[in-house]
Amino acid sequence: MDTMLKVENLQTYIGQYHILQGISFQVKKGEVTVLLGRNGAGKTTTLRSIMGLNPPSQGKIYYQNVSIEGLPTYKIANLGIGYVPEDQGIFKDLTVEENMKVAMKKQDAETIDRLEWILQLFPDLKKFWKKPGGLLSGGQKQMLSIARAYLNNNQLLLIDEPSKGLAPIMVEKVMDSILEMKKETTIILVEQNFMMASTIGNQFYIIDDGRTVYSGRMSTLKEDEQLKRKYLGIA
Amino acid sequence: MELMLNLIINGLATGMLVFLLAAGLTLIFGLMDVLNFAHGGFFAWGAFSAVWLYSLSGSFFVAIIGAIATGIMLGIFTEKIIIKPVYGNHIQQILITLGFMLVLTEFIKVVWGPNQMAAKTPEFLTGSWELGNVILIKYRVFIIIIALIVYSMVQIALKKTKIGLIVRAGVMDKEMVQALGINIKKVFMFVFIVGSAMAALGGALIAPYSGVVYAEMGMEYAILAFIVVVIGGMGSFSGSLFAAILVGLSGSFMAYFIPDLSLAVNMLLMAIVLIFRPQGLFISRG
Amino acid sequence: MKRLGCISQISLIIIAVCLMVIPFVYESRSTLILLTQIFIFAIFAMSYDILLGYTGIVSFGHAMFFGIGAYTTGILLQRQEPTMGIFILSIIVGIIISVIVSYIVGLMTLRLKSHFYAMLTLAFASLFQVASEKWRSLTSGNDGFTFRIPEILIDRSTFYLICLILMVILYFMLQRFTQSPMGSVLIAIRENEQRAESLGYKVLHYKIIASIIAGATACLAGSLYAASLRFVNTSVFTMDTTLDALLMTIIGGVGTLLGPVIGAGLIEFAHHWLSGLAEKYPLFERWIIFFGIIYILAVMFFPKGIVGSIQGWKAGKKLKKAVKVKHEKKIAG
Repeated sequence: MDTMLKVENLQTYIGQYHILQGISFQVKKGEVTVLLGRNGAGKTTTLRSIMGLNPPSQGKIYYQNVSIEGLPTYKIANLGIGYVPEDQGIFKDLTVEENMKVAMKKQDAETIDRLEWILQLFPDLKKFWKKPGGLLSGGQKQMLSIARAYLNNNQLLLIDEPSKGLAPIMVEKVMDSILEMKKETTIILVEQNFMMASTIGNQFYIIDDGRTVYSGRMSTLKEDEQLKRKYLGIA
Repeated sequence: MELMLNLIINGLATGMLVFLLAAGLTLIFGLMDVLNFAHGGFFAWGAFSAVWLYSLSGSFFVAIIGAIATGIMLGIFTEKIIIKPVYGNHIQQILITLGFMLVLTEFIKVVWGPNQMAAKTPEFLTGSWELGNVILIKYRVFIIIIALIVYSMVQIALKKTKIGLIVRAGVMDKEMVQALGINIKKVFMFVFIVGSAMAALGGALIAPYSGVVYAEMGMEYAILAFIVVVIGGMGSFSGSLFAAILVGLSGSFMAYFIPDLSLAVNMLLMAIVLIFRPQGLFISRG
Repeated sequence: MKRLGCISQISLIIIAVCLMVIPFVYESRSTLILLTQIFIFAIFAMSYDILLGYTGIVSFGHAMFFGIGAYTTGILLQRQEPTMGIFILSIIVGIIISVIVSYIVGLMTLRLKSHFYAMLTLAFASLFQVASEKWRSLTSGNDGFTFRIPEILIDRSTFYLICLILMVILYFMLQRFTQSPMGSVLIAIRENEQRAESLGYKVLHYKIIASIIAGATACLAGSLYAASLRFVNTSVFTMDTTLDALLMTIIGGVGTLLGPVIGAGLIEFAHHWLSGLAEKYPLFERWIIFFGIIYILAVMFFPKGIVGSIQGWKAGKKLKKAVKVKHEKKIAG
């Protein structure tokens, strides 16, 4: 199956605010699809709508051809979708180990192997294994959040602004880990850091005022100064 | 010295009883974001059931188990019928749980009549021990021990079991737990039942301690429990133990020296905490 | 003609006039006393509606102010001369005390989340209750004390009319308040506190004002209550009193001012009627459970209460009519 996720005319309200006013996009398997746009455009809400945290009032979401809009969040997660929120969602008072344990569905050999592999990818996590998540640095928290989402062999990962607030060297590490995961998983990435987005992204969608207004291959966007300025505020 | 010890044991005993009530409240609030104003009703029902069962069966053990069972059943009913429908709306929750508290309290009067009932202490727990020239009242020590056992059991469950892990994680970030594929609503019922069972146990234990049970005792102790929850911090299980001990001790000492002010001193404590550290003494959130 | 809830202004005035005529045509003392109680509780419930219905604040300590009014009046009338002057003085003193109390308590607690506020008002009210029980020298504790009231008020018809007039005046005053700019801010706070804050309104400031007004009104009701009974004891500070306000406001209809009046009528009538029945059939002694259950159902399914639901239904009908007219116009033109 080539299309991992298909979103059609998503409309989402938060309270009385009409945040998403028509989001449509498709995500190809094995690719990194980037959602770009200004602050407040609705990128985070889009991810949350897919996850069911802010259920859409209208529109369809198809995950591997199965419609998932309206399902409770835990069911959506169990279909194989992992979520790395903007604030990382680390359980502060739980240790790194416990953070991973919450995510662990089964304790079988396959999961243990996977855990080993992830810890190799993020060696800092092993170092801080028994320490509370709250003590980790920003970059390490990001690693933990990504690791946690990746643990269960999720086929689709939703990652929200992983580079936010990170030092350039950490941003590089995050990029490397995403490229590594891309080999086995499909990724939807929300990112304001254009360098990162353009380096690892394949397809892009621009969201403005709650609507998808433009899309294309990342290679073309890199050259298009006008587009970048209009929707991303990048000169 | 002897006086000191008595006041301390007294204070600890009262504190432990309030802990049983407050612990459930704080976990339910921490995890479900629900402040259950009917919690005192479980306490009162536990007390009445225990006294009634004891008078029927003559066995203290049966009375305690019966009270816990009552608490569990009431908990299930309350979570499903009263709390679930108004999930997410704080104002409705507050209003509805208080209304249910009224109904619970009045129902006690329907079942057992409007007057207070006398509660006896079982034979094997009456009297006291003498250690040198110190006298320890057996029943009070019993209360302290039982409550500490309950505390340890729940603490172990929280730290070592998967469900305990989910509860601890859920108190910090409900949404993330769901996003990790866990149906946290199932855990809600579990936590609610543990809370209501503990409250009912508290009621059952206090009956012989105070000698009488009356329908209004639920609300009276609930108010103390609220004070404890504020001081200890919403959602902190251990915090509720330490705060309860603090409240119990201060109430006990004040009751000896200036009895009229014992409630006032606890309210003063609460006011101080609210002004200087509103998240409670034991929550690290800042 | 202003449309006011489900009954227009004119109809309300007609009803008020009818009520005024009652003591002259209907001689039954117990009816007059019952209706007077209804008016007094209507004032109390309306004051609660300002908090809950208009500002969105759930207070479990409203009995505090009721009790302050009741005891201030009782104490002053007992210790001084039972004259009209002293009575009015007691009302003023009571209101001053309740303004101070609601300011201090409000300052400490209104900045916190709704849960905290509810808990804390509960705790404060119980503090007042305990204090009234223990401070026997002032309050005679649980037993309470009786006192004489001014000559003029002894006549039940006169007292009835005074309470009725006060209720009507307060109704219109509170109504004007809710329709004033300040009232609109309170409603905005109820709807979406964060938004109001971001629009530049100091939410705490407004909440405290609402709390003070509600407290003062409740205090007045308490003074009238004490005068009607010529007796006051610690029961005025109990949870039951606050619950009364809650039940009346919710069942009658929050946020309508008229609702609490109707709620007060319903509950006091039921109290009177069911208590009578209770003498024959002891089951009815627990009549309040019935209201408790209605209240729970109301909070769950009819959060707008009786008046609110009728308002909503009428508004729905109007909307449907307007849509129909628009639709017909579209077809025609």
